Amino acid sequence: MIIGRYYIDQKSVVPKIVIGAVIALLALVPLFTTSMVTLSTLISSGIWSIAVMGFILILRTGQFSMGQAAFMAIGGYVSAILTVRLGLPYWPSFLAAGVISGIIALGIGLIVLRAGGTSFSIITIAFGEIVRIVALNWDDVTRGASGILTKPPAPITIGNFEINFATNLVPFYYFMFFLVIASALFFWQIDRSRVGGTFRSVAANPVLAEHLGIHLMKYRVIAFTMAGVFTGFAGAYYVTFISVINPLIFDLWKSVQIMMMSIVGGPTLIVGGAIVGSTVLYSLGNYLTQLPVANVQYLVFGAVVVLVLLFLPKGTGLVDLWGKFWRKVFKEPEEYEIPGEFSQEDEE
Amino acid sequence: MPPAGIWIDGLVQSCIYMTMAFGMVLVFSILGILNWTHGQFYMLGAFVVYYAVTAAGVPFPLSLLISGVIVGALGMVVEKLVIERLTGPGYGLLAVTAATMALIFFFEGAAGMAFGLMAKGMATTLPGVLDMGSFSISYQKIAVIIFTLVIMVAMYIVLNRTKVGKAIRATAQQPDAASLYGVNVGWVSLIVMGIGCSLAAMAGGIMGPVQSVDPFMGRIPMIMSLLAIVIGGLGSLTGAIVGGIILGLLNSVIAYKISYFSEVALFLLVIVILLIRPQGLFGAAPK
Amino acid sequence: MIKWYKVSSLLVVVVMVLSLLATACAAEQQKPAPPQPTGPITINVGVPMPLSGTAAPWGQIPTPLREGFIQVFNKDGFKVGDQTYNIKMVQVDDENTPEGGSAAAKELIENDGCKFFVGHWSWNFSAIAAVTNPAKVIFLTRNGAPDALPASWAGGGAYDPKTMPYVVFGTPSQEEFLADCFALVDAFPNYKKIGLVDSSVSKGGPGWIAVQKALDKQGVRWASEWFTPGTTDFSPMLTRLHEEGCDIVFVAGWVGEYMAMLKQRWELGYKDMHIACSGPFVSMDIYQSVVGVDAFEGAIGSYEAPWAFKKTKVNPNIIAQCQETLKIAAQTTGGPYDYTGEFPWVPAHVEILTQAMQKAGSVSDPDAIMNAIRGGTFDTTAGKWTMSGAQTYGSPIVFGTPASLCSIQNGKEVYLSEHPMEPLP
Repeated sequence: MIIGRYYIDQKSVVPKIVIGAVIALLALVPLFTTSMVTLSTLISSGIWSIAVMGFILILRTGQFSMGQAAFMAIGGYVSAILTVRLGLPYWPSFLAAGVISGIIALGIGLIVLRAGGTSFSIITIAFGEIVRIVALNWDDVTRGASGILTKPPAPITIGNFEINFATNLVPFYYFMFFLVIASALFFWQIDRSRVGGTFRSVAANPVLAEHLGIHLMKYRVIAFTMAGVFTGFAGAYYVTFISVINPLIFDLWKSVQIMMMSIVGGPTLIVGGAIVGSTVLYSLGNYLTQLPVANVQYLVFGAVVVLVLLFLPKGTGLVDLWGKFWRKVFKEPEEYEIPGEFSQEDEE
Repeated sequence: MPPAGIWIDGLVQSCIYMTMAFGMVLVFSILGILNWTHGQFYMLGAFVVYYAVTAAGVPFPLSLLISGVIVGALGMVVEKLVIERLTGPGYGLLAVTAATMALIFFFEGAAGMAFGLMAKGMATTLPGVLDMGSFSISYQKIAVIIFTLVIMVAMYIVLNRTKVGKAIRATAQQPDAASLYGVNVGWVSLIVMGIGCSLAAMAGGIMGPVQSVDPFMGRIPMIMSLLAIVIGGLGSLTGAIVGGIILGLLNSVIAYKISYFSEVALFLLVIVILLIRPQGLFGAAPK
Repeated sequence: MIKWYKVSSLLVVVVMVLSLLATACAAEQQKPAPPQPTGPITINVGVPMPLSGTAAPWGQIPTPLREGFIQVFNKDGFKVGDQTYNIKMVQVDDENTPEGGSAAAKELIENDGCKFFVGHWSWNFSAIAAVTNPAKVIFLTRNGAPDALPASWAGGGAYDPKTMPYVVFGTPSQEEFLADCFALVDAFPNYKKIGLVDSSVSKGGPGWIAVQKALDKQGVRWASEWFTPGTTDFSPMLTRLHEEGCDIVFVAGWVGEYMAMLKQRWELGYKDMHIACSGPFVSMDIYQSVVGVDAFEGAIGSYEAPWAFKKTKVNPNIIAQCQETLKIAAQTTGGPYDYTGEFPWVPAHVEILTQAMQKAGSVSDPDAIMNAIRGGTFDTTAGKWTMSGAQTYGSPIVFGTPASLCSIQNGKEVYLSEHPMEPLP
């Protein structure tokens, strides 16, 4: 079973300076606007993009997990329980959320990644449902359906300057920004490293890879665990941002949403695709929900995904479109070669 | 021993999951994909029957056939426009999985906008309850059971006695060899998708009077039939039937014993089966 | 040549992003037009409500009634000092999820300038309260949603009177659920056992523990069952309840679940089993078409039409307003409109809010208005009620909505019984 075999690499097409400029501008957003609605949309999109990066990393090994929201739930619950119920400070709890989520991902991965392909997807669905059911019924720890009201991180004072998370969204925005940049650097480096290349070879031809002495399970589990850690961070930060966690937040449809975001952005680029996909879909969904036409967001959401799949070749998503646009408009036509499966490392 | 009412309830549910899972497995065995939109065809079928019966005054059995034809045609359109273009060389499983999942939202959104979100009902179709002394059964549920028997016999005849059926079975076993012998695999895919979707639509239609009709009614049968074919084995028609029966009983007889914990039992069963026997109870060993 | 392209393209991108941001800022600074000093001033009141997804019918069906009531209410408006004010209702979709609620609340506060939220009931109380309290937005909601109960109760909800000073429980759903149980006992004194059915989401929650204790204290015989949200088949559960000897089943469910139970107990042949619902009937047509006319007879639901109360006295002016509202709603929907269940929500909350504004002498000072609400007495669509203060859970709560029930006879709602509501611990 082969998933995500073809990658068209457009990453060198858009000049780095433009990407840098966009990042710099995004960093300056709070100077232009402190609107709660705008900042919230950007913060949520950023947090989802981290989960999407994790999803794409698992996809690199040829598997797709439909239970990623469960890891967000685990991360969210760990941080909420540690800060609210045990009274620990926020930042250590945040780190613990990622670590525990990663450990659970490791354990689950060791058991369920043996079954690859469709079976793996379905097991992850069942895993997500079980996490939800446990969260709902383990009242002593998770407080069941009442959920846990999370606390914002304590104010940080540097000299006369106080960073207060409780009173406004700008610190939330900047920490999201930092978190996305950090995860992006991590996933980008992993993706172009030797390990990333091995992930692709595991996906492209498992039998051949195994014959070459690559331990399939090992790499699948590595990808799944790394994704688990960062998805845990995303979950921990997300519940702090929306200020509550309960079992109803991270259900099956959120996992599906993560998958859709990766598709719309384009799983070819682990960072660009994730960020573009989550920002486009989240903002669009948010905007459409406020329209007076009930249910239109479901219709558009589905339509966008199908149209992107149909009209952008080989499921390469919006990032690829951007690369193409750039090449057509700004760059002189030149021979562009699609790199082969195993030549990723020679690229940079 | 659970009372007769529970067994009847389980039987009715088994019938529906069986019919749904049968269509899904049929599509899987030819196209090699899971059609995640199957539940939404069930929902659309129920709406077609609802409007045929209440607005146009068509008799119920006829409107079931109409919904089968209309939604079957819609399934063929989806196969032609979406699935066919997203399978084949260059596409992984992700593309078509994501597309059929996106269609869930698309159809639910469209149905909500077109038909409204409030539940609709057809309780006036086949009203009444047959009192059998110690237990009772409604005519609507009897209709579901008869319908499923008819469908299963019809499917048996189609698959075993007709040319189309033989082409379908040949393609399921060996697509390359089948096409060498002159079977048009593209056509077979289209026909199978049509049959699968019309089965889902008719299942939705026959359940319309039993439940209420609303845009989100397809989600649970979809998940249940998915789990049924996972338990029974991907690609196995017998497995779909057995899986449907197991799930129907789990949701009634086991639920009667352990109440809402049957949900946990359900997911644990699926995980255990997938880990111990990934090909399911009746599936062939993985290729 | 290529370099020139690169520089120009960079400029294009910069200009595009800057203009986008500039328009965003400009849109933000657009304040609503300054009010005319002579005519009535309009106050925006936000209603976060599920308008899409599975919970949407509950948000959509009462909309004509809400709009009709605001229309009737604005005929005279209300006076604070010499100035007349009108209410404008801004309804935004909250999708019945915490994220949706948070986004809807931000949208309402920032883009619509709402200082007050009314009529809220969805399952996102804490997410909305986390937005409204720092912004000093007065938030009239209900208790009884899984998280909208005090943290001090056994089982622990999410409501904390100290950190959420601007929350008002304008409709006490939790107490109403309990009083409904007692009203059922009043109506059927020879009952054998009440079977309480709730979503497994509420199982073990603070509301459930409190109800359980209160029922035991009054010596009510009960049994309980839970269902997973989204369940469509209740036959196993009804059989279990039947075997436990329940002859009344009281469902804290939504329309879909209630209808399924009504129909399935009929199919199982439990014709002597009464099925009651904690919510009002949304529309007779829907029930009859889904459940069937026979099976729907004798169904019990809560009944909030103010003119039907026998024990609670409602101000005749307000009753007249409500009846007019119902007529307007029937006109806008173009058919018979029989949903009265909305009266203790948006209409009652608007009454409380505007009367508190009059008492406080201000429409803009949230602290003064909250002071007026605490311990104040208000004339609402559900009677004249005094807000509790410190003696309950430290919050202003209306113990007003009468727990009034009706049963269906010949397809019409007929008054059944009523029980006074009392505060839980």
